[in-house]
Amino acid sequence: MSILVSPPRAYDPLSVSHLDFWAATAEEREKTFRQLREQRPVSWHPPLEGALMPPENEGVWVVTSHALIGEVSKHPEIYCSGRGFQFEEVPDDFLQAAGSFLGMDAPRHPALRKLVSSAFTPKRVALIHEQIKAQAATIVDGLLAAGEGDFVEVVSKRLPMWTIYEMMGLDESRRDEAAHHADGMVSWADEDVAAGREPGEVLSDALVTLLTMGMELAEERRAHPCADLMTALVQAEVDGERLTDEEIGSFFVLLSVAGNDTTRNTISLTAKAFQDHPDQRDLLMADFDGRIATAIEEFVRYVSPVMTFRRTATRDTVLGGQEIREGEWVAMIYSSGNRDASVFTDPDRFDITRSPNPHVGFGGGGPHFCMGNFVAKMQLREIFDQLLHRAPGLRLGEPAYLTGNFVRAVKSLPFTVR
Amino acid sequence: MSFNDAAEVRQYLGGVFEAAFADPEIAPQLQGTGIVLKTVYTDPAAVVVIDTAAGTVELGDASTPSTATMTMTADTGNAYWQGKVNLPLAMAKSRIKVEGNVASLLKLAPLGKKLYPRYIATLQADGRDDLLV
Repeated sequence: MSILVSPPRAYDPLSVSHLDFWAATAEEREKTFRQLREQRPVSWHPPLEGALMPPENEGVWVVTSHALIGEVSKHPEIYCSGRGFQFEEVPDDFLQAAGSFLGMDAPRHPALRKLVSSAFTPKRVALIHEQIKAQAATIVDGLLAAGEGDFVEVVSKRLPMWTIYEMMGLDESRRDEAAHHADGMVSWADEDVAAGREPGEVLSDALVTLLTMGMELAEERRAHPCADLMTALVQAEVDGERLTDEEIGSFFVLLSVAGNDTTRNTISLTAKAFQDHPDQRDLLMADFDGRIATAIEEFVRYVSPVMTFRRTATRDTVLGGQEIREGEWVAMIYSSGNRDASVFTDPDRFDITRSPNPHVGFGGGGPHFCMGNFVAKMQLREIFDQLLHRAPGLRLGEPAYLTGNFVRAVKSLPFTVR
Repeated sequence: MSFNDAAEVRQYLGGVFEAAFADPEIAPQLQGTGIVLKTVYTDPAAVVVIDTAAGTVELGDASTPSTATMTMTADTGNAYWQGKVNLPLAMAKSRIKVEGNVASLLKLAPLGKKLYPRYIATLQADGRDDLLV
């Protein structure tokens, strides 16, 4: 029990723990992260100011450099996910129910991930791509017809929700409700979203509703199989093992969150980046098919929609010269790793030809690398194909951001289209 | 096996909180929440009301006022205090029904975790291995 006998450490003078820090813009936060990255890439901070429950830990290590984020990600035996993956304190029950294999370690993590992967056959992936193409075209029809409004509501929010829930086989009548609760899963700390309710209530409602939806859908598909991912999940079998309804419910929650907010915010902020950097837009349009794959990697790096994930040290270890003790929390700041000047030349520049582009937007490698990255790339390709070719007169205003330490989320983004 | 009657439910599932109030580390945290938690058990039926501010555990009835109410079978309660029930999943499957201030229950969550091993130890000490999940 080395924790009990060791003297308390001094916290870093730069604060990343207060809610104010996460209410500021990414550009403001980057000023702090840059200093940490360049001078103290592993730094010790007070527990995050959370809204759900009092912190139990004394502090959290914050990892800001690209190389060290990779080191943590690729050593799950030292930095595990099974003891939580959120930067702030969330009840264990909630993490287990909401996280699916995101919050697991070997051997359960690879087994469950393999089971889920087996549902994504090449034929299914091709079908999903066709669905996304059609969704993107219809969404841009809607944008052009609307003429003005909120880009998040009309475009960014619609595509991921549609993709995930059509792929899953969720009835259209329930998709808005599911997407609403998927929002609640990541935005409990935001006053607008909470609308007077306590953050814990927002999270609990969201989680329980999504779990219920996922389990009900699994039950329906067991009884009446359809040509959708949920049917494939209830039928999936690897080494004689199948997913339980609870596991499917939990995966439904994970998919609702991981598949909804990530792409949504990448779409909003990339659209804004193209407006702010018309040269990059012209460059892409000069050879869309030839450049889009490289450009998508830059969209994800530049936006860094998932800002943080956390691990727990399974043993005493040393990271970046700092002595980390067993049981201590280690948070990776992907948005900081993606601005690391030792890896990315001129990191603040939006450069759609950047190559190589070893960003950590889908994670820093290792077993928890984003499983849905191929879906995200299909969505980004198809929506920007539609937007850039069919809506050249799109004008965006200033984004309003959500307060939170997990996803860099845009609440609203006014648009007009000529 | 299950609890035999309301008195046993009160003794064991209420006893978890009495142990918490007697603990110098947990008691102030528990009292600090200020929650009045009404636990409504069935099979056998018992209403156990925990007033964290007053530090009391009493048998109550459906009309007893509370900040939050949790309704479940006594068996589910027994499994819950052994750390064998995932609250959101149990809520989604309607094994546990929560009314009132759900957020306040989250504040109890870290304390609950500390109480699981004590509850198990109590059952073992009383020779109630039949109740171990």
